[in-house]
Amino acid sequence: MYLLKLRRRELPVSSTLLWRRAVQDLQVNAPFQRLRLNLLLVLQLLALLAVLTALAGPVLSLRARAGRRYVILIDCSASMNATDVRPNRLAEAKRQARQFVESLRTTSGFSLGQEAEQAMVIAFANTAKVMCGFTSDTHRLLRAIEAVRPTDGGSALATALTVARAFAQSPGEDAGGRGAAEPARLELFTDGRIADTAKLAVNPGELVFHRVGQGGGNVGIVAMQARRSFERAQEVNVFATLANYRPEAVDLQVQLAVDGNVRAVRDVHIPPARAGQVGQVAAPGKTSISFTLAHGGAGVVELRQLRPDALASDDAAWAVLAPPRKLSVLLVSAGNFALESALKACSLGRLEVKTPAEFDAIDREALDADQPYDVIVLDRHLPQKLPRGRFMVFGAPPAGIGVKVERTIANQVVVDWRRRHPVLQHVDLDNLFVLRARRLSLPRDAQVLAEFGEGPALALVSRRASTYLLASFDLMQSNWPFDVGFVIFCYNATRFLGGELARTEEGSLRVGQAIELRVGRRGQSARVRGPGGIDLEVRPDAAGTLRFAGTWRAGVYTVQPPHRRARRYAVNLLDANESNIAPADEMLFSGQPVKAQVKPAGSANRELWPLLALAALALVCLEWLVYNSKVRL
Amino acid sequence: MSPTATNRPRRLSDLLDPAFMASLDVLDVMSRKILQGKLQGERRAKRRGRSVEFADHRPYVVGDDLRFVDWNIYGRLDQLFLKLFLEELDLSVQILIDTSGSVAMGEPSKELAIKKLAAALGYVGLVNNNRVTLSAFADGLRGQAANMRGRRYAQRLADFLLGIRAEGLSHFERACAQLAARRAGAGVLIVISDFLFKEGYEAGLRRLTCQQYDLYLIQVLSPQEIEPDLTGDLKLLDIEDGDAAEVTISAALLEYYKRNLAGYCNELKDFCRRRGMTYLLTNSAERMEDFVLKTLRRFGLLK
Repeated sequence: MYLLKLRRRELPVSSTLLWRRAVQDLQVNAPFQRLRLNLLLVLQLLALLAVLTALAGPVLSLRARAGRRYVILIDCSASMNATDVRPNRLAEAKRQARQFVESLRTTSGFSLGQEAEQAMVIAFANTAKVMCGFTSDTHRLLRAIEAVRPTDGGSALATALTVARAFAQSPGEDAGGRGAAEPARLELFTDGRIADTAKLAVNPGELVFHRVGQGGGNVGIVAMQARRSFERAQEVNVFATLANYRPEAVDLQVQLAVDGNVRAVRDVHIPPARAGQVGQVAAPGKTSISFTLAHGGAGVVELRQLRPDALASDDAAWAVLAPPRKLSVLLVSAGNFALESALKACSLGRLEVKTPAEFDAIDREALDADQPYDVIVLDRHLPQKLPRGRFMVFGAPPAGIGVKVERTIANQVVVDWRRRHPVLQHVDLDNLFVLRARRLSLPRDAQVLAEFGEGPALALVSRRASTYLLASFDLMQSNWPFDVGFVIFCYNATRFLGGELARTEEGSLRVGQAIELRVGRRGQSARVRGPGGIDLEVRPDAAGTLRFAGTWRAGVYTVQPPHRRARRYAVNLLDANESNIAPADEMLFSGQPVKAQVKPAGSANRELWPLLALAALALVCLEWLVYNSKVRL
Repeated sequence: MSPTATNRPRRLSDLLDPAFMASLDVLDVMSRKILQGKLQGERRAKRRGRSVEFADHRPYVVGDDLRFVDWNIYGRLDQLFLKLFLEELDLSVQILIDTSGSVAMGEPSKELAIKKLAAALGYVGLVNNNRVTLSAFADGLRGQAANMRGRRYAQRLADFLLGIRAEGLSHFERACAQLAARRAGAGVLIVISDFLFKEGYEAGLRRLTCQQYDLYLIQVLSPQEIEPDLTGDLKLLDIEDGDAAEVTISAALLEYYKRNLAGYCNELKDFCRRRGMTYLLTNSAERMEDFVLKTLRRFGLLK
């Protein structure tokens, strides 16, 4: 089948102009016509195109920015819990960060550049946590921002900055051949209350400070301690300092509770803060209070100020009270009457005397885990391996603590000693004469308490959670046992070393500090409970230490190892810098000011559909006008 | 329809027969605008100058031509006055004729009609001592018989017309631009053509309106163009550019053609009316004597 080509008669005419028009006019009325280019049709098609494009929801990235990699730093410290902006500062910071992420240039959508921008998210309080590495996946970034949790920690930018710079060295996962040399810009979302900025340096333009928060008065507990009276074991003294960051004086009530039972409520007047620069607090008004209460057993002391304010994290502080306990001391000696009788005079809870052979027979592991003795006195005996503990050592120093014996020195008198040190209080060493002693070479961190003419006489060395009080001489080579000061020394030394124990056992931590508990190698996993619904199982590591680092909210944490008594830890904020919640307008990085970008970054990604819809409307109007004007002609 | 090679005019009398010439002798080209010419002519101008027609007196100032001092007044008033006259100037009559291929078509030929019209109008201009310039255009200006004056130039006018053949493409705008560039001065401009330009006549005419012309447009169409007597399936070839239009003649198509032609002429007429030009349409089958003596007089081109 083929088409018959009509053979037409050729005929010259003066012009085909009018004939063409006539043919066109005829075709207009034919049922099927070739599409002719018509202004109206073009306008209609354009309008339709605009509507369809509007439905596709294109986004125009208007902001042309220098950098293409961003590190989003979100402050989640305690001061970010302030409720001066609703619902709180952290939520506002996250909202601004989300807005920033949404303004990032992605490869999809219409943008001013071709390449997608990358970002990473770091949340920081005392330490930094990488929520998400460099990526251009907006959804991942948004999820990472959403996952930032509030903490009651202080704020330190150093770690976050180090981490950010380290990450900026490596290209991201979807770098697309982008060099790692490209500088990353830091987008810091904070209220500006960061403690360590003075020690940090940033390049000009490297950091953009997005300020969050409007300011608001706050009253907080900035210091708190509870301890038993030295004289009366039943008596507990609680000291606390309250700070007022408001420009006016505040009268409030402070409530003291032990194990949840309210024991005292006191009215407190705090003077106003001294104002510094505009909106800043130069020095808060402070009031110290102290409570004395009788409490025999163990317990948790809670101090709470009852005035509601913008920041709740610092309205309460806790302290764990250990039950009163007399020291139990082990004397390992082949027989030293002077030392034994001096220790007996020290009103100890328990004094055990063991020969070196008996001491070596005790299971080191049990000693390590159970700590049955508060102080172990080693008299001229050096076991191969010492358990963790507090030791008073006469004679040769134990190995492995960095102390070496250089040589023997003879006929020494003490030339200088630290009279103010708790170990040597009321002790007179003027008359001490030593026939033979060892010249000790001490590590640099050792504290020398008393000094002979040629070397240290008494030194305090701390190594691996153990404390050693070293005497460089044998007691029997000196005239010290005949001195009344020796008994006082023994009393002081056991108190001091036992007090060391009490301090570490008290279980008072700062927010973010890890709970460490030795359970021994055979220890099983323990259950940790804490504020904010923390309830989880923690396994000890290979060395037999339980570590729990998630102490991000202030409160009382309980560690319950199986078949053992539960340990309680008070985790407190107690940070004057965090309690001062007035947002800073500028931050000083090594003296270089970084101004706050107070106005939140407007959405740089503009939705184009309203414009397109308007364009469609305009096109339709134009088409109508054209149609009308054509008709009028 | 075939090119009219057989009855080509050879003499002046083929264009203008003596009786017609005699009737043209009494006519003159009229300009609705009183225009300024270059030479002293037979036309009253607004400018005062030398002529015989007295206009006014004015006091003598040093430097004036002593020949125009009115000595009679000096004798009576003992003061010197100058006599002023209305200057009589000539009129520039430009005739632009289309000699492109398209005007060769038609039975009778449009070419002959155009040449007859040009000869008649040129003759009237010459007889009345007007400065007559005759230009022919096709794809641009093809030739010009410029600045003819007086009856003795009638032969030259005829020679120019007889010597030019209608052929080639038409480019009206270029021709108008060239004509305007020659700065022939203000006057009457008569354009005689079929105005069937594919690129449009608007741009060309706009160039002419810029000048100080009193514009007359005479559109000459052949009877075959006005009432086509075609049948069957045809391939119409454009005589100028060879463009082929395949048509199947039907009553409807003829209807659309006529409507289009009428629309085209009306558009041209409208265009002229809006710009103060005079538009005239004639059929090449019409007797040019009647057209000149009746229609042109009625439209005020001739008097």
